[in-house]
Amino acid sequence: MNFVIEQWRAWAPGLDSDEAWQAWSRHPVRVPDDDARPACDFLPAMQRRRLSRLARMTLHVAWPLCAEDEQLPFVFASRHGETPRTYALLSEVADQQPLSPTQFGLSVHNAIAGQWSILRGQRGESVAIAGEADTFEHAMVEAAALLSEGAPAVLVVIAEEYPPEPYREWIDDVPFSYALALRVRGIDADHGMQTGERWQLRLEPDDHHHDAASECPHALQFVRAMHEKHGTLDHSWKARRWIWQRIP
Amino acid sequence: MNALQQEIAQLIIDTLNLEDVTVADIPPDQPLFGEGLGLDSVDALELALALQKRYDIRIASDSKDARQHFTTVATLAAFVQAQQEACKN
Repeated sequence: MNFVIEQWRAWAPGLDSDEAWQAWSRHPVRVPDDDARPACDFLPAMQRRRLSRLARMTLHVAWPLCAEDEQLPFVFASRHGETPRTYALLSEVADQQPLSPTQFGLSVHNAIAGQWSILRGQRGESVAIAGEADTFEHAMVEAAALLSEGAPAVLVVIAEEYPPEPYREWIDDVPFSYALALRVRGIDADHGMQTGERWQLRLEPDDHHHDAASECPHALQFVRAMHEKHGTLDHSWKARRWIWQRIP
Repeated sequence: MNALQQEIAQLIIDTLNLEDVTVADIPPDQPLFGEGLGLDSVDALELALALQKRYDIRIASDSKDARQHFTTVATLAAFVQAQQEACKN
């Protein structure tokens, strides 16, 4: 699979500018997750009322990557989804309390893709996926499929939320909340005119069978590679070895 | 605006997560749904749940009057008051 990353934008608590991500890429640390959330004040307050933290993170990174009058297929990828919402709802069930209709209604994996569609008037295709520790790469496979069906460009968002305390023993690949949006295109024959960074992604079988998540999520390793101008990235998960390679 | 009306206006703001809206922005006679504050049917369900929890009242979901009770802060306050008095008796 060959792509051009035309534009991209990332967010994490305290990391909300190119400079901040550049500095983080040089010294990647586990940033404290203080429950900070993007303001999303490009939306009127009445339209923000049902946006969860993960929805705000998603809209914040995706918003400027789609033009006002543009229709783009949308891939939303999250391995764990909105764990704080899930935990809150299950706690209500355990306490035999009635569930909030709003919270219940939004507790599906494609809710954020739906909110994106409504708020941006997007009438095209959207996909919501959850995979394993290589959910990021699977999102790129979805994007490649949409591109091969003729989409001029695809908007991909990968977003994860720092889990509530009771889940932390089980979720070992979300050191802090983060969201990454990529505006992805196929490579034109005459790519001299195309702006953006060209990458190839390929999948090889891996005999070593890694099943411990790497300390830094794949999407954030990709952010590092973009900033640090790395030429290759090697992400292994179970029997899958994903190889990212810059195309000169 | 009486105390109960103010309380209900604040409950609407807190329950429905209305950023930048204050009690003063919801006059007792302003329609809550559609034109006016701009709430929708999901908000109505959410608000019904919050009112039942806060005031320990019951709102029958098939009640034909429900739409009327939910028109404004003033009609909601009157409804809550009537329910509470009915419970006392």
